[in-house]
Amino acid sequence: MFYRKMIRDLKENKGAYLACIVIITLGLLVFTAFSTMVETLQTSQQSFYENQNFADGFVQVKAIPRDEVKKLKDIEGIKEIQGRLVKEVMVLKPESKKNVYLRLVSVEPGRENPINAAFLNAGNPLEDKAMNIWIDNKFFEANNHNLNDEIEVIASGKKRKLSIVGVASSPEFIYSLRTAADLYPSPETFGIAFVPLSSMKKLFPDEKTFNELVFTMKPDTDFDKVKTKLEVKLKPYGLKSLIPRDEQISHLLLSEELKGLVAMSKAMPIMFLSIAAVILYITLKRLIEQQRGQIGILKADGYTSQEILFHYMSYALVIGLAGGLLGVVAGAFLSYPLTSIFQVFFNLPGLEGRFSWYLIILGIALSLIFSVLAGYQGSKKVLALEPAQALRPPAPIGGKRVFLEKIRIIWELLSVQGMMAVRNLTRNKGRSLFIFLGIMFCFAISGFTWSMNDLMQKMMFDQYERVEVYDVKMSFASPMNQKSMIRELTAIPGVSHVETMAEVPVTLKNQWRKKDAVLFGLSETGRLYNILDDNYNKISPPKSGLLLSERLAKLLDAKVGTKLNVESPMKAGEKDGVLEVVGIIPQYTGINAYMELGGLQDFLKQKGLVTSCMLNIDKGEVASLRDKYMYTDTISSIDERNQKLDMFKEMMASYGSMIYIYALISVIIGFAIIYSSSVITLSERSRELASMMVLGMTPQEVLSVVTFEQWCIGVPAMLIGMPMSKIFMAGMSSAMSTDIYTVPERITFSSLLMAFVVTGASIWVAQRAAARKIRSLSLVEVLKAGE
Amino acid sequence: MNDPILVAENLQKFYQMGEVTVKALKDASFELMEGEVVAVLGPSGSGKSTLLNIIGGMDKLSGGKLYYKGTPLHQADTKQLTYYRRNEVGFVFQFYNLMPNLTALENINLSVQISQNPLSAEEMLEQVGLSDRGDHFPSQLSGGEQQRIALARALAKNPQMLLCDEPTGALDFKTSIQVLKLLKSFSDIYNKTIVIITHNTAIAQIAHRVFYLKDGRLDRIEKNENPLPPEKVTW
Ligand SMILES: Nc1ncnc2c1ncn2[C@@H]1O[C@H](COP(=O)(O)OP(=O)(O)OP(=O)(O)O)[C@@H](O)[C@H]1O
Ligand SMILES: [Mg+2]
Repeated sequence: MFYRKMIRDLKENKGAYLACIVIITLGLLVFTAFSTMVETLQTSQQSFYENQNFADGFVQVKAIPRDEVKKLKDIEGIKEIQGRLVKEVMVLKPESKKNVYLRLVSVEPGRENPINAAFLNAGNPLEDKAMNIWIDNKFFEANNHNLNDEIEVIASGKKRKLSIVGVASSPEFIYSLRTAADLYPSPETFGIAFVPLSSMKKLFPDEKTFNELVFTMKPDTDFDKVKTKLEVKLKPYGLKSLIPRDEQISHLLLSEELKGLVAMSKAMPIMFLSIAAVILYITLKRLIEQQRGQIGILKADGYTSQEILFHYMSYALVIGLAGGLLGVVAGAFLSYPLTSIFQVFFNLPGLEGRFSWYLIILGIALSLIFSVLAGYQGSKKVLALEPAQALRPPAPIGGKRVFLEKIRIIWELLSVQGMMAVRNLTRNKGRSLFIFLGIMFCFAISGFTWSMNDLMQKMMFDQYERVEVYDVKMSFASPMNQKSMIRELTAIPGVSHVETMAEVPVTLKNQWRKKDAVLFGLSETGRLYNILDDNYNKISPPKSGLLLSERLAKLLDAKVGTKLNVESPMKAGEKDGVLEVVGIIPQYTGINAYMELGGLQDFLKQKGLVTSCMLNIDKGEVASLRDKYMYTDTISSIDERNQKLDMFKEMMASYGSMIYIYALISVIIGFAIIYSSSVITLSERSRELASMMVLGMTPQEVLSVVTFEQWCIGVPAMLIGMPMSKIFMAGMSSAMSTDIYTVPERITFSSLLMAFVVTGASIWVAQRAAARKIRSLSLVEVLKAGE
Repeated sequence: MNDPILVAENLQKFYQMGEVTVKALKDASFELMEGEVVAVLGPSGSGKSTLLNIIGGMDKLSGGKLYYKGTPLHQADTKQLTYYRRNEVGFVFQFYNLMPNLTALENINLSVQISQNPLSAEEMLEQVGLSDRGDHFPSQLSGGEQQRIALARALAKNPQMLLCDEPTGALDFKTSIQVLKLLKSFSDIYNKTIVIITHNTAIAQIAHRVFYLKDGRLDRIEKNENPLPPEKVTW
């Protein structure tokens, strides 16, 4: 009997309940899918790190004799330390217009449990001294290689053939970027190759030393202590950088990504479930008010309050269970494709979607808790209702004047319907607040995601359309002399302009704060690398003193006028000196400091030192430039700006789809909130609305009372949503910014506009949907009964 | 007593309740004249409200023909019925159905605002004797006062026909007489047609004609040569 009543009651308000179910489903879908994915990723990451003996510290030096490395093991806290030779080479690919690089990492095939062991996915072991390599599987796939293919590279100025005997992955290159400024992996043009040390010696006969060290630490060792000791020992070998695992690019980006996913997997479901809970609460509360007569009769008949309460709560239970089950099942399925999307970017072996009963049960429990709580809150009034009191009609609704009426000029502009709408705002304060908050969030979500998108684009494109505007950049294998390089390069056919620059690794210190960064020396009159302020005005590099990027300044707690201790392995004589900060500039990728080239050379006491050069060159001549320099020892890489831009454009296209998902989410939330509250308002006020129709008002005119009220809430909510999206953005910015990129805190105008459109449209559509209810309102029936 | 403004021929209204068809109105034929007062009497469930709703364009016919000033209402769509209600008809119900968050005067203005040639809201308020209560919300008014406001709201539209479904059903004797007086004078002054549904045979004495309904059938129509003025009615 109660069961039938429930089904009928649910049908009556099916719009609101459906909205609830949809939102709960969405919330749990996100919860299950993301939590499953996070769990999968975390376990794969951990076991991969463990099995491959992932390093705790990473060191780059100019050169350290091979025998010296073993001695470092005696440093307290170090468990194991290994040296290696890492060299980047260009791949000869005549058919490809792009520059393709392989980073050769030396390995010792015989060694037991080496640090950062490469994991062989397919193929054969490496043989000492042979020209055989393992390459990472992303590069292998992207370039359609087969086992036993040969790759031709330029090493030490000579063409060399390397044979692929295996496909491997390493914990160090799960997310592999050629330079930190790249942001996205590009497996087609950059890969990792593992080469036996003995073969490396053949490829680079001049290199008798190691240039990188990796080490693991004993448990409970403080990295900074080890670092201090290592720094002392490594100073003579030209220490370039010494970072803990936390700052290693691949690990950093993977952890950031995981952090983001964990946050998503918690915040989104809670938001969705809260919204669903409020809708459920409002709907049930309304139902109880509507059925107080029935409740009175049931009580008079001898049903206990608990029985009746349980009856109403069972509605919530049904909704929660339905939404919960749907969401959990859909989420479990969705986790598989989601995990494989992840695999496009991250090279993590053993990544498989898995099915977790624990998460499924947790998800359903979560949904039930939210809906039962909402159900209890919504129907607890049943307990307090005395049967006699319940049978009496509820107290009449008192009209109230509102604040706006004091402002006569505005008030008198309103039609009578307008007055009704405005007074209705305070009629149900809780519901108005819910609509307000809901729309505000809706607006903020879309405003801030669109802003993110805008800013990401800006970050990328500014860098290669306004900052770095050369055609080709060539990096030298070792520092060169400025004058002779300019002379040599200017003579190349097609080259119309040459600028040299120095990129110098430095350690900046401000009291106890310390940061490794790259100091750029740029010529004062240069036009191929522009330092820009927020309004794209060019800033010329200072002759004495430093310009710092905003993030670097923040990390060092430096302001204009702060004197920094600057230390560099490239400095002659004293290894450190003092430079004053003369300006702070916005910069979104990387953390850098800038100086005028001559000033930098003076500071380093290295007259004429340059490390790379930028060219303007005819398009047609790029290929011959590449051919010419590929074989020389002096050039380590040749980069074309166009190539980088194209890569970013591709990446943005795939990132762009995320924006639509967020937009869809905010549309769904906006729709559900407005639709369910409209439906409830309509049923609650059906009598008033029917009376208006009897007076001869059209359904549109009647609906306008409700919609006007909603816009009265919605428009201010959207306005408040603007600073709200800014707050979201600031939170996002501080959570997401790393040394690799900085997310600006700004909100763009176009994104606010977009948020207005998206939110407004979802409100409008929801109102249209609710309008159907008005048309089907039967005047005769509504007015037949007394209150 | 002048021309007919509404002509009904064989009005039918059926309600389909699953298997059973409830015939709420069967073959009702009649005319309503300009300026006349008609009372509708009949036992509960005899189809009085159904009849009134159909005349007032609130419900659609199942069969038969209905002309308002020559316009066929039985062919009208929802929108046309809306405009018919808006411009030609005023309703008063047993339950007053005022907007709870509009003041008395604003409630009247609500209908003034949508009419083509409305009467002044203030004037109507005065006519129902509640000039000093215009600022009050319905919850601050007694039942009788609320009914007078509802009446003023219906009249302010200046409708050709006023349809009342037990307008005094919830009121005491004194207040009922007040409301009836207002109805009658409106009909007299403006030459409007008034239909009053009632259970109270005494009230029927003020009408020019009385319709008796029975089981959905218009059983008979009685002409009342000498309608009583409302103040003479007692029960
Ligand atoms: N929506 C409906 N669905 C089914 N039957 C209905 C509906 N409305 C009215 N009826 C039936 O039509 C018949 C006439 O009802 P109506 O409301 O016109 O009676 P009434 O004469 O106004 O009665 P009362 O004096 O009690 O108000 C009744 O038998 C009623 O049950
Ligand atoms: Mg009736």
